[in-house]
Amino acid sequence: MPEKATADARPILSLKGIGRRFGGLDAVRGVDLEIKPGERRAILGPNGAGKTTLFNLISGEFPPTSGTVHLFGEDVSALPARKRARMGLARTFQTSRLFGGLTVEDNVYLAVLGVRDGHLRPVLNHEDSEMRERAREIATQMGLGEVLDREVAELSHGEQRQLEVAMARATDPKLMLLDEPAAGLSRTERQTLTELLLGLPEDITLVIIEHDMDVALRVATWVTMMYEGQVIAEGTPDEIRANEMVHDLYLGRRHAA
Amino acid sequence: MNISVRSAPLTRPEKIGLGVIAVVALLAPVIFSNFFLSALLTQAIWLGLVALSLIFLSSYGGMVSLAQVAIFGIAGLVTANLSEAEGGLSVAIDPWLAAIIAILVAVAVALIFGAIASRSEGIYFLMITLAFGVMVYYFFGQVTSLAGHGGVNNVAIPGIVGDRVNDPASFYYVSLAVAAACYFGLRYLGRTPFGLTLQGIRDEPTRMRALGYHVEVHRTLAFGVAGLVAALAGVLFVWWGRRIGPGAVELATVIDVLVVAVIGGLYRLHGAWVGALAFVLLDNYTRRWTPEIGDILGPERFNTLLGLIFLAIVLISPGGLVGAYESLRDRVRAYFAGRRGDVQEDASLAPPAPDGASGAAAGAPADRPNGPVAAQADVTFQRSKTQTATPEIGGEE
Ligand SMILES: Nc1ncnc2c1ncn2[C@@H]1O[C@H](COP(=O)(O)OP(=O)(O)O)[C@@H](O)[C@H]1O
Ligand SMILES: [Mg+2]
Repeated sequence: MPEKATADARPILSLKGIGRRFGGLDAVRGVDLEIKPGERRAILGPNGAGKTTLFNLISGEFPPTSGTVHLFGEDVSALPARKRARMGLARTFQTSRLFGGLTVEDNVYLAVLGVRDGHLRPVLNHEDSEMRERAREIATQMGLGEVLDREVAELSHGEQRQLEVAMARATDPKLMLLDEPAAGLSRTERQTLTELLLGLPEDITLVIIEHDMDVALRVATWVTMMYEGQVIAEGTPDEIRANEMVHDLYLGRRHAA
Repeated sequence: MNISVRSAPLTRPEKIGLGVIAVVALLAPVIFSNFFLSALLTQAIWLGLVALSLIFLSSYGGMVSLAQVAIFGIAGLVTANLSEAEGGLSVAIDPWLAAIIAILVAVAVALIFGAIASRSEGIYFLMITLAFGVMVYYFFGQVTSLAGHGGVNNVAIPGIVGDRVNDPASFYYVSLAVAAACYFGLRYLGRTPFGLTLQGIRDEPTRMRALGYHVEVHRTLAFGVAGLVAALAGVLFVWWGRRIGPGAVELATVIDVLVVAVIGGLYRLHGAWVGALAFVLLDNYTRRWTPEIGDILGPERFNTLLGLIFLAIVLISPGGLVGAYESLRDRVRAYFAGRRGDVQEDASLAPPAPDGASGAAAGAPADRPNGPVAAQADVTFQRSKTQTATPEIGGEE
């Protein structure tokens, strides 16, 4: 990305008054959010705060009940997930959604193919070798070089989480949404993951949901705090670390309403 | 639930075994009697093709479709009507042209079915495809201008294909060639962008959408591919029996094909013919073998015995006969791997993951002991009816 991520750069993602109701429950209500190109944003908040729902609204899993989503300057509120993906949006899932019956290489290959044309091609050709090359390269970068030929169902939990990120990375996204990538990882695995995230190209804009402060606050340059479907605080990692309300929420001493 | 269509690389005995099967298949007209060849083997080939279309959809696409027999029947009915025949329209065009048009019509219908069914999953998908099957059955029964009153009979067949009664070898070879083309074609397709995309959709449609894929379009086209296979079977069926009637698409046939697929193995393409052969042989011979046990069993109740055998296969091995074979092979392999010493075990799998694989799997990483089927098709099929399915087939010679 040639231009610098200045304060007045056009936002890569902009949510205006976005909300989502599930029956009687407002999972997300009236959230405004702007992400600038190249930004590293963490979204924090206790379980049930609406973070994953927010991701689902951004990625187009389901439509919002109110508000709009602008992606790369376009109103995408009515676009299905697959079209947003092809515009340069990639995401991971809180609980891994991998192709269990395929190998690691095939999984990443499908991520590479997804944003290109030729999903329906019923013959193999040189493009496939090139895409496989690319898939192996990304998987190796993400620390999966040893298990390329293993079926995903045989991977350890840690490897599966790495593959989640690798698949998002393999689409060469402009904006990447990571939903608790460190969930269930051991201490060393979390450190490896943090290094991987810090090593991502700078032109990939990153939004990360993460409970682990060591991961979230090291990767992020700006933090958004959610609670009961709303944004309740924003600031730099240091400000958030010092914020008492944040501490209370994470220690489980919840504020009433 | 993880379906993997990958098989382990073939071992030497397996390669030899396959070679023997190939030779027997090619020399079948010399080895077997005309009755065995035309009534049993050839029937197993087209029956296996219908099952293949079902197994393809379920193993690569995660869609257990009950509409394959309907597609098969439509192809058969169109072939019969366009060719010279008794009953039906008897348009009397060239049988090859009739077959080609029939296949196109059947694939078009499959695409329409697919477009409707592709939005639903699980039990809803099963019910919608069943509805298609029932719909086509009633169409056959009620539109007598097309389906005739006692079916469409004496259908003209192309000269080269040969009448299966007078020239069983030609017909057998034509069927064998069609089956082989479908089998190898689908295996190849599985490795292409189309096939891998389909497997991705089988495992995680949500992820596929998030990666930029159009899940419904893909499922619909997969239905079209499976429809092509079922349609080829339908044409072979009409040429084989030279007739088609509502019995060809009745519910009992739908169940038969499902039974064939399940006892063969829902997750391996070749399971289609393992199942079909087992089915055809049992169907033919249990009549004679069924023992007399008071009022409960007897030769006229051979279906009960048939049902019990199928039940036993499904209970013992969720992956059907192919699954049973694969798990047996894996056990034998693990046994020999174990005897060769523990050295191999240590050097087996590099990263000792917290919930890592237990050592025994060392030899064959690509192996799936047997397809964990149950979650998908936890429907138990039992042939308990006293009526024979596919009456066209029954009472041969
Ligand atoms: N698909 C859904 N249907 C119904 N309720 C949902 C759905 N997804 C999320 N919710 C509810 O919305 C609230 C927010 O959930 P979520 O966004 O997953 O929170 P977080 O990711 O912050 O833990 C929760 O109360 C959850 O039960
Ligand atoms: Mg969540």
